[in-house]
Amino acid sequence: MAMMKKIIITMLLFFPAVPVFAQPDPLNAVESMVNSVLEILDNSSLSLAEKKAQVSGRAQRFLSIESMSQRTLGTYWSSATQEQRDHFTYLFTRILEETYLNRIDDYSGGTVRYLQQRVKDDRAIVDTLIIADELQLPVQYRMVYEQQSWRVFDIVIDGVSLIMNYRASYAEIIRSQGYNGLFRLMEERVTGMSTS
Amino acid sequence: MFIRLLLLIVVVAFSLTGCAATRSGPSQADAKLPASTYANGSTTQSGDDFLNAEPQKGLDSGFDADFDDWDAPIKLIADPFEPINRGVFWVNDKLYFYLFKPLARGYGAIVPRPARVSVSNFFSNVATPVRVANALLQLNLTNVGTETYRFIVNSTIGVAGLFDPATSVAEVRRAPADFGQTLGKYGFGHGFYLVLPIVGPSSLRDGTGTFVDSYVGPVRYAGLATEDLLLVRVFESTNRLSLDRDTYEGIKRDALDPYLFIRSAYAQRRLAQIGEPVYNLNILQAPVFDNEFFNPLEWFNLWQ
Repeated sequence: MAMMKKIIITMLLFFPAVPVFAQPDPLNAVESMVNSVLEILDNSSLSLAEKKAQVSGRAQRFLSIESMSQRTLGTYWSSATQEQRDHFTYLFTRILEETYLNRIDDYSGGTVRYLQQRVKDDRAIVDTLIIADELQLPVQYRMVYEQQSWRVFDIVIDGVSLIMNYRASYAEIIRSQGYNGLFRLMEERVTGMSTS
Repeated sequence: MFIRLLLLIVVVAFSLTGCAATRSGPSQADAKLPASTYANGSTTQSGDDFLNAEPQKGLDSGFDADFDDWDAPIKLIADPFEPINRGVFWVNDKLYFYLFKPLARGYGAIVPRPARVSVSNFFSNVATPVRVANALLQLNLTNVGTETYRFIVNSTIGVAGLFDPATSVAEVRRAPADFGQTLGKYGFGHGFYLVLPIVGPSSLRDGTGTFVDSYVGPVRYAGLATEDLLLVRVFESTNRLSLDRDTYEGIKRDALDPYLFIRSAYAQRRLAQIGEPVYNLNILQAPVFDNEFFNPLEWFNLWQ
C-alpha cells in the first residue's frame, strides 16, 4: 500500500514536469483555428457584426499578438520604450483586426488541406493548401509555443510573409518619419478602416 | 476569412510581373544548420505528392533564418529612383481607377465568368513556349515535361486551350517561368526596383525579362498589325483584371503606404519564385524524410 502511494505521488510529481509530451500538435492547433473560424463564417444565422465579433475573439486565442508586434517592428522593437511598444501593439492589433474582419463578407468558401508540420523545440511551421475556385494557394503558418499552446505569429501566403511585408513598410516609415509619424499614420488608417 | 486577403496579396504579386533578390538566405543558413539537426520534427501527413519528391536539405534552412533573423534589418530591393517610381505609381493608380477598372467591370458585366476563365486559359496556353524555353534555360526538365504535357492535353482535349483539363482532371499544374526568374536563378539580382507605366511593379532584371519573353511568345508572330497586337494585349489585361476581385482596392484601403506594401510583396514573391526554399514555397517538393526516425539513410549514417 505504501508502495502504491509512493508510485502515485511520484507520478503526480512527474506529470507536470514533462509538459513536452503534452504539447498538442501545431498542425492540430492550426486546424482547430481554421475550423472554428470557418464554423462562424458558415453560420448563416449570424449577422456580419456578430461574425466579426466572434471571429475576432476566437482567432486571438490562436495568435501570438506580442510576437507579431515584435517581429513587425524588427530592430525598432529593442530601441522602443515600453510605452511605444504598448501603443504600437494596440494599433497594430486594431489594423490586423480591421484588415481581416473587413474581408469576412468576401468569404465564398473553399477547402483547406493540411500538408505537414515541422517542429523544432518551441517553434513550428505548418504547411497548408487552400483550394478555392480554380486557385490553389500554399499557406504556411509560423508558430511559437507559449502559454501552453501553439500560437501563430506569421502567415506566409504563396511565398509572401505577411509580417515581413508589414515590417518592410513600417521600418521605412519609422526611418523617414519617426515613431510619431508611424503612429499618426496607423491611427488615421484605423479610423479610416473602421468607418468605411 | 483569410482567403480574401491571401488572394489579394497573391494577385498583386501575380499581376505585377516582378523582381528582387538582394540576399540569399539559404546558403548562409545551410552553413550553420546541418540538415540532420532540424529533423526532429514529425510529418503528420504526407500526401501522395511527397512520395516521389527528393529530400531537400536546404528546405529547413528557412526555419532558422526566419525565426532568428527577425530583428535583422531587411532590404528586400534597392529603390534609388523612388521619387520617380512613386510618380509612375500615382499615374498608374489613376489609370487603374478611371480607365482600366471601369473597362474591366463593363466587360465583366457582359461576358459571363466561365467564358472569361476560358479566355484566360487560352492566353495561358498560348504562352506555353515562354515557360518551356525558360524551364529549359533553367535546366529544369521536370517543368519542361510538365508544360509540354499540359500543352498537348489542353490544346486537344481542352479545345485549343479554352479549358484546363490538365489541372482539373490530371492535377498537373502550370509551372510558371519567366526570363527574369531565369536570370535570378543564375544569380542576377534585381538591380533596382522599377514601377513601369501601366504594367506596374518590376525591376531592371525583371523588366528586361518581360521584354525578352515577349519575343518568345507566339502572339508577336501571329502576323498582326501593331495596333491589333496592342488590342490583343489590352483584351488580355482587361480579361485578367475582370477576374480579379478588387485586390488593389483592398491594399489601398488597408496599407499605411500602398507603394511600400506592393514593393515588398513584389520583392518577396519574386524571391520565392527564384526558388531558393526560404519560404518552402513549393510544398509539393517537401522532403519525405522529415523525421530522422523514418529516414533509412540516417540509420546507416549516410545522411548528410
